[in-house]
Amino acid sequence: MVAVPDSITLHQMDARALNRLEKEVADQFMGGLPWGSIAWGLGNLAVWLSLWPLTLTGVLPLWAAFPIATLNVMLSYLPSHEAQHRIIAREGEPLFWLNELVGYLSTIPLVLPYQVARLTHYEHHTHCNDPVLDPDAGTKAAGPWQSIANSIAYRQPGAKGQAAYGDCLSRLGTPEAQVAGLQALAAQLAYLAILFAMAWTGHALEAALLWWLPRHIGVTYIQFFLSWAPHHPGTGSGRYRDTRAFRSAVGNIGSMGMQFHIVHHLYPRIPLMRTPAAYWALRPILEARGCDLEKL
Amino acid sequence: MKRYLGGLFKIMPLLFGLGFLGPLIAQVLTLAGWALPWGIAPLAVGMVIGGIWGGVATLTGRWL
Repeated sequence: MVAVPDSITLHQMDARALNRLEKEVADQFMGGLPWGSIAWGLGNLAVWLSLWPLTLTGVLPLWAAFPIATLNVMLSYLPSHEAQHRIIAREGEPLFWLNELVGYLSTIPLVLPYQVARLTHYEHHTHCNDPVLDPDAGTKAAGPWQSIANSIAYRQPGAKGQAAYGDCLSRLGTPEAQVAGLQALAAQLAYLAILFAMAWTGHALEAALLWWLPRHIGVTYIQFFLSWAPHHPGTGSGRYRDTRAFRSAVGNIGSMGMQFHIVHHLYPRIPLMRTPAAYWALRPILEARGCDLEKL
Repeated sequence: MKRYLGGLFKIMPLLFGLGFLGPLIAQVLTLAGWALPWGIAPLAVGMVIGGIWGGVATLTGRWL
């Protein structure tokens, strides 16, 4: 492990030396295959898919399947997020197919196509907290309850938030972004077609409790913990100011590791499961930089 | 194509009200075992509620 000097020494270091030390510490946490995230992404999808035949055949009661499906949707984003940052494997590497497989499959319950998530997420990193250019800027809110209310308002048919990702893809305007836009359209139409077909074949309640309602709860959870909480108050800009560390009332697992999201914004290729350790190793440096580390 | 899809998504709340909420309300009414007056079918009630709700959401841009 790279030794980090005391805070007095850190404050006396020049910018170049501090940058070098920070990078050396961070580098220790990169690399390797994040098997946990791969198993999480593919296993989570398998569990969610299995709920359909299990409930339709009466093996599993719907009241038991509903919380599982809700958890599945809440869990569906982060494995794809690892793939978006090519943490499983980079283009040209032998396991790049696995990276893309996890990326494409894990967000199916969320009805968020991988390429849409990837391209818009890169824009979020590049323009974090920018009210126009950050596609996630709409989740900014004064407090936790307003964040939940905003998330619900964000999904109303006439809300500006509905168009945020589409606008971002249009702004990018690349052939890749155009394809992603078509994928978003196809995914949305397929999702609605499945809901309608289920409803008109006598399975509306199953569709509602396995997909429609879990998706709304899951999106609210994801926007709260992955978007609002780590970027609150959403006004800072720049590498050390646009994201914070925070202590969550529901702990590290309950907030899916987002307490340490500042590490992800600084070093996006550190796997999610290593961000807590990376945070504690980097903390004195982040403190010396004046980052918002709240009570963590 | 873009124009047709734009139009389709503009009226999507109405379609959602009729295509999903209507049958969902009907299924809930049936499971709850509520006897509706004058022999009204649960699906009819579901379609009226889903259609009106979806129509209002289409016009106002808000479900809630």
